[in-house]
Amino acid sequence: MKKLLSIFLIPVFTLLFTFNVKAESLTLGWAAWDPANALQELSKEFTAETGIEMNFEFVPWTSFADRMLNELNNKGKTFDLLIGDSQWIGAGATYGHYVKLNDFFDANGISMDDFNPATVYAYSTWPKGTPNYYALPAMGDALAWAYRKDWFDRPELQAEFKSKNGYDLGVPKTWDELYDMCTFFQGREIDGVVRYGAAINTERGSEGITMGVTAAMYAWGMEYEDPNNPYSMDGYFNSAAAAEAVEFYKKMYDDCAPPGHSDAYMVANLDAYKSGQVAFQMNWYAFWPGVYKEDSDGRESGFFANPCQNVCAATLGGQGISVVSYSDKQDLALEYMKWFARPDIQQKWWDLGGYSCHMDVLGSPDFVDSAVYAQGFLDSMGIVKDFWQEPTFVELMLPMQERIHDYVVNGKGSAQEALDKIIEDWEEVFEADGKI
Amino acid sequence: MKSAVKNFKGLSDKAIAWIFITPTLILLLAINIYPLIYAIRMSFTNFYANKIGREPKFVGLKNYQKILGDEEIWEKMQITAHFVCWTLLLQALIGLGLALLLNRKFKGNELLTTLIVLPMMLSPAVVGVFWTYLYNPQVGLFNYVVNFFYDFGVFDMIGSSTLAPWSIVIVDTWMWTPFTMLICLAGLRSIPNYLYEAAEVDRASKWQQFIHITLPSVLPFLLLALLFRGIENFKMFDLVVELTSGGPGSATELASINLKREAFEKWKTGYSSAFAVILFVTIFGFGNVYVKVMNKIKER
Repeated sequence: MKKLLSIFLIPVFTLLFTFNVKAESLTLGWAAWDPANALQELSKEFTAETGIEMNFEFVPWTSFADRMLNELNNKGKTFDLLIGDSQWIGAGATYGHYVKLNDFFDANGISMDDFNPATVYAYSTWPKGTPNYYALPAMGDALAWAYRKDWFDRPELQAEFKSKNGYDLGVPKTWDELYDMCTFFQGREIDGVVRYGAAINTERGSEGITMGVTAAMYAWGMEYEDPNNPYSMDGYFNSAAAAEAVEFYKKMYDDCAPPGHSDAYMVANLDAYKSGQVAFQMNWYAFWPGVYKEDSDGRESGFFANPCQNVCAATLGGQGISVVSYSDKQDLALEYMKWFARPDIQQKWWDLGGYSCHMDVLGSPDFVDSAVYAQGFLDSMGIVKDFWQEPTFVELMLPMQERIHDYVVNGKGSAQEALDKIIEDWEEVFEADGKI
Repeated sequence: MKSAVKNFKGLSDKAIAWIFITPTLILLLAINIYPLIYAIRMSFTNFYANKIGREPKFVGLKNYQKILGDEEIWEKMQITAHFVCWTLLLQALIGLGLALLLNRKFKGNELLTTLIVLPMMLSPAVVGVFWTYLYNPQVGLFNYVVNFFYDFGVFDMIGSSTLAPWSIVIVDTWMWTPFTMLICLAGLRSIPNYLYEAAEVDRASKWQQFIHITLPSVLPFLLLALLFRGIENFKMFDLVVELTSGGPGSATELASINLKREAFEKWKTGYSSAFAVILFVTIFGFGNVYVKVMNKIKER
């Protein structure tokens, strides 16, 4: 009987002991998308090295901000690490949601000079541009374009386009060229199927249409505020050029979008492109590895940075990784961050489909040839601009979503009226926040 | 134990009643009355729930003045009124019609009733999502069916500001007409047969029987169903958010969706408390008037 018991109990205790040893764990929160799966894969190496289990909670983009910001506002302990959107950095720092990382960086030899300056500025610093770091640049990203290279390469389409527009069908250099190409494909029958121009951002609920329209507004040279007089927006955000950009975006929606594309963001754009409906899709670099990998049945994808117009600029995406100040496991979380900042891990991160911001990776001679979208990514990260990163960014985003959607999709009022009203809404927010 | 029973026996009826009622009262006070009073208090302040450490300031009636004087809020109220009125009208007509149909005995009656009732058993969020596919102008069944009868060409129910308010009316009617139908059916089945027999003896036509027997008997039931649906639709949220997100622009942004955005996205807690109080008073006021009218109809 004793022998029988020992045969049974020894493995049980061994198992219990093993579980006990591996009891240390961290929970990381991020959005549910392709790079998150890559990070999960990469983090297995961290667990293998340290024995610390990694748990993940990935939230769909449409409810990402709601879920995470509620968690932070409630001082929740669910997450030890959070890869939060770039616009959250103001709130994260001001309200004490994120741990300040300067001492940790100094103690562990992590230098922000080793990361792309645009990403450090956008993802890590608050107040903007000061050496106060609340996140490590984790995932560089910008809004860009994918196109059907296989259609563009067809000689008959090239000839027809050139005779119609007087220049070659290829990667558009300006938004005007992009419009010409989009309208060229709009309603065109290719291989017996009716195709459309471009799947662009029109989503109303979270941030979709704002991210899309600002891609045009930045290219027209829009500034949010007077650089010499912060929060003074009149004449900048609602300048004639900015209004022209919004009108142009509406023209793109009216003349180039597939039918029913009135509430579309990342997934809807991907679906429209993958199902062969459109010649172009607007989306984040984060999706290009997946798009490129899934090219099949004759589909060949090309990628390019946001076209220029009056200036060259692109909408910033991407995120930094922060330690949540309400976590009981801050030491373990910092250990993960230290591991993630290592150049060799950053290289693996890029290889798996994550967009590293580390200069060793971006500056490597092989980088540009490592992926078809690598050059575009480098170009974009040099010209990125971001939405307000104020603690009140959600309050600032909502009226922009509503006003722009009302004009672009609903056709209500004019672009100028929409921008003027947004400024009124924003002034109210800044007043309530004591900024003006 | 015996002494406890003895003590209990010694209590008056009133005391025993209080013992039974008290837990319910405490619950009611804690989860209904206290939040209501707290919200009313907040509605007179400039409180922002996400601004940690900032003390709310008393602003008097400023929030109420701002809301009642805001054209955009009135737009949302109009959108809500359009939604509530049309859904109630359609659900009353179709629900009563279906109930009259199903009140007859025919083969497959029970199966048909079950099939008609299915939509209201689904989650509103699920209904919202799958109707976005049905409304899709390229692959959706809705466009196909409409164009089968008359060639309207490609039209976008959700993306058009003219059609979007109707798109939410159609979906809510599809989902909740069975509810009205069931209540009306219960009313129809409670009408004694001898009334119709007596009417036939008096040589009353079918139309006269409907006007003088069926309709008055079923009306209190129908009004009750519409009361429930009216209250529900006044605070409709999930179905419309999933279907249109309040868009295009703000074409389908009902008062409740706007309230949620003000309260939990813009975090204007004081302002949104005032808006919630206004909505509460509106529903409560309409509800009271409606119940009084309903009682008068019952008394006839």
